[in-house]
Amino acid sequence: MDRFAFLLKRPIQLIPVLLGISLITFVLIQMTPGDPVRIMLGPKASEDAIAFVRARYGLDQPVLVQYFYFLLNAVRGDFGQSIIYRSPVGPVIIERMAPTLFLILYGLALSVAFTLALATAAARSRGRWLDQAIRLVCVGSVGVPSYFVGLMLILGLCLKFKLFPVSGYAPSLLDNLYHLFLPALTIAIGVTPILTRNLRATFIQQMDADYATAGRSKGLPEGYIFGRHVFWNSLLPTVNLMGVVVSFLIGGTVVIENVFNIPGLGQALIRGVLTRDYFVVQAVTLVLACGIVITNFIVDVVTVMLDPRVKL
Amino acid sequence: MDRRSFLKATAYAASLASLPGLAFGARAGGSKILRMGYGSDVLTLDPIKTVYGSDIMIQGMMFARLLQANADRSEVGPGLAEKWDISDDGLIYTFYLRDAKFADGSPITAEDVAFSYTRMRFQKDSAYAGPFQPLKEAKAKDAKTVVMTLDRKFTPFLTLTEIWNTGIVPKAAVEKMGDDAFAKAPVCSGPFKFVDWKPGDRVTLAKNEHYYREGLPHLDGIEFRYVPDDNTRVSMLQAGELDVCITYPAARQAELKAAGFRADPEASSVTYDMLINHSKAPFNNLKFRQAVHHGIDRQAISDAVTLGTGKPATSIFSPALNYFDKSLPVVQRDVAKAQGLLKESGVTDPSFELLVSAGIADDEKTAVLIQAQLAEVGITVNVSKIDSTSVWTRLIDGDYQAQLNWWYNETRDPDNALRWCAWGAGDNKSYYTRYNNEEVNKLIDEAAGETDAAKRGALYAQIQKICVDEVAQVAMFHPNWLNGYSPKVKDLILNIGLQFSEIDQTDLV
Repeated sequence: MDRFAFLLKRPIQLIPVLLGISLITFVLIQMTPGDPVRIMLGPKASEDAIAFVRARYGLDQPVLVQYFYFLLNAVRGDFGQSIIYRSPVGPVIIERMAPTLFLILYGLALSVAFTLALATAAARSRGRWLDQAIRLVCVGSVGVPSYFVGLMLILGLCLKFKLFPVSGYAPSLLDNLYHLFLPALTIAIGVTPILTRNLRATFIQQMDADYATAGRSKGLPEGYIFGRHVFWNSLLPTVNLMGVVVSFLIGGTVVIENVFNIPGLGQALIRGVLTRDYFVVQAVTLVLACGIVITNFIVDVVTVMLDPRVKL
Repeated sequence: MDRRSFLKATAYAASLASLPGLAFGARAGGSKILRMGYGSDVLTLDPIKTVYGSDIMIQGMMFARLLQANADRSEVGPGLAEKWDISDDGLIYTFYLRDAKFADGSPITAEDVAFSYTRMRFQKDSAYAGPFQPLKEAKAKDAKTVVMTLDRKFTPFLTLTEIWNTGIVPKAAVEKMGDDAFAKAPVCSGPFKFVDWKPGDRVTLAKNEHYYREGLPHLDGIEFRYVPDDNTRVSMLQAGELDVCITYPAARQAELKAAGFRADPEASSVTYDMLINHSKAPFNNLKFRQAVHHGIDRQAISDAVTLGTGKPATSIFSPALNYFDKSLPVVQRDVAKAQGLLKESGVTDPSFELLVSAGIADDEKTAVLIQAQLAEVGITVNVSKIDSTSVWTRLIDGDYQAQLNWWYNETRDPDNALRWCAWGAGDNKSYYTRYNNEEVNKLIDEAAGETDAAKRGALYAQIQKICVDEVAQVAMFHPNWLNGYSPKVKDLILNIGLQFSEIDQTDLV
């Protein structure tokens, strides 16, 4: 069987996962007390107005009937109406996917660049002051919450030195490299220490491996051994860890989007949950779940590419 | 792709991404767009479908009303109506319209006004028809004359013809587009017209060339942005990404002022209070309510939460409203007296659950203070922090003992204020407190029909005294609006009724 045959099976595995997630989300949010119509109409709205609007959205039906209609419509590509905004969910979600996706990819790109540089520097100077300093910074920054990092970056780089904008998302790609730099940096500051520690450890382990010793005994220069053999052989565990980190990031952008006021999926999800906007929560959850499944898929593909021995 | 080229490509992509772009998103030069940021998002642009702060603010800029308030809402004067008559029996109001046009160039006729009022008063999903109950009929007499008939004498009526949900909409457009489509792209009658709405992000408005006030507005447009995080909103003002930051945390005031921003407190009609459930123990017990009333230190709470910008409450509604009884004293905290009242109440287990909306810093601060102050009296306060939607549900269902909340009033007239907070006959059961005193209900109706100001004042004083004596709610303090403005913004304030009512005269220099 071809090494990449597993590609074909993945979309089929996705179906039960999404079904399960949608059912759980639907039941959970319906069980939470609170009425989206009342939030939409506001605290001074009359009971009559609320009952009238509830009926219009079919919210007076039993939960399972509502779920059935949701599924029926979802199959046809209609994810229902946002109750709060009184408009279809689909376009809202699509509009919000781009900033979130861009932010995550940008953040990851920065993290990868930082990680490669820091881990290499640390491993190559093992035990010396540079290594100690990098390890100290990594340990120190692992526990710092991202909203704090974000606020500090805003205070310093935006307000004091006026290098970057505080907020926003621009329509063009190039503008966003600038607009989303700080949020992406915030992500990188959160992710880099985790990846760096992992990669440094693997580097060191591989540098002590027999094949490296063999190379040294043949008189190969240390830099050559590292660049040619150790480096490539060490990436696998970090790539797998990155898969986990991305899944975590997909949830974590919620906070970062709020601090930098980026109109992304995370902001929509928070709003949706707080206002019980059932169909928005449902749709965002499904999109995020797909994101996680796709990430894992990519990690699998990369693993196969990196390691010729692996078969899935 | 082999392993090596794949890794190389990844490395290139990463290093490319780490170079911040060089393009700077600058604001288009020359045009005067006022950028405002607020912590809740716009939900609808149809004036009859909402009672939400964000919607009220933006709709106030989009729809003209019969009457128009001045900046601080101390007066209400001619708007779309040039003049008006009231019949001797006080039941028939006739409004005479000026020549005016909608943003699409069609004339604003008496037919449109009658349509807007009928819709607001009688349409089933009209969110705030409550204060307009006495309105029986709105009819066009001719193209420029509207006649409104009330079913009883109702003095506050004229001031109500200024509030946001009486905004005039075009009959033809609403009927053609249907409510849902109109709410997303309305045809406007106010100083600004609709351009674009990105739900959960921003509403964009442009100058209405057909606005009825000659030469106004000065601004070319408005960008009303949703910025949920308070501190981000302040940072955006400081960084020049916003011109107006609507509500900032009190702690940031000094910093904003020092940097040259206009950040003085603006008078509001807000009352911050502890709602108590009169239909449940222990707050169904008058002596217990009084024990709480005397056991808390309003000055200390006001100072702690508003950092000295607010005022402790003495009555049930805000001192910004007409007929506020100035003779009522600030209740000084008296632990011994409170303990005496608690003993008299006979409540054996003096404790209650205080609901607080999680994440709202002011509420959390207040709850801690109340808890500490009442502990000295001997009352145990169990603070429950839950999300605000759950809080509202429990409030409405009456499934609570006490809850921290605030409210504002649209007008300076106390009628709709009292119907909101103390009128047990209303839909909202005295702001969900279930306070229902027949005498108070009757007095509120009587005062609404009274035309003589002195007599009205006496009735309102009587109502306020009863509400304070019976501790209808534990009113705590009156905060101000705290808004930050860039020094470039000229002539803009938020009035007590949550409206930028003179936005048409605002300028950016």
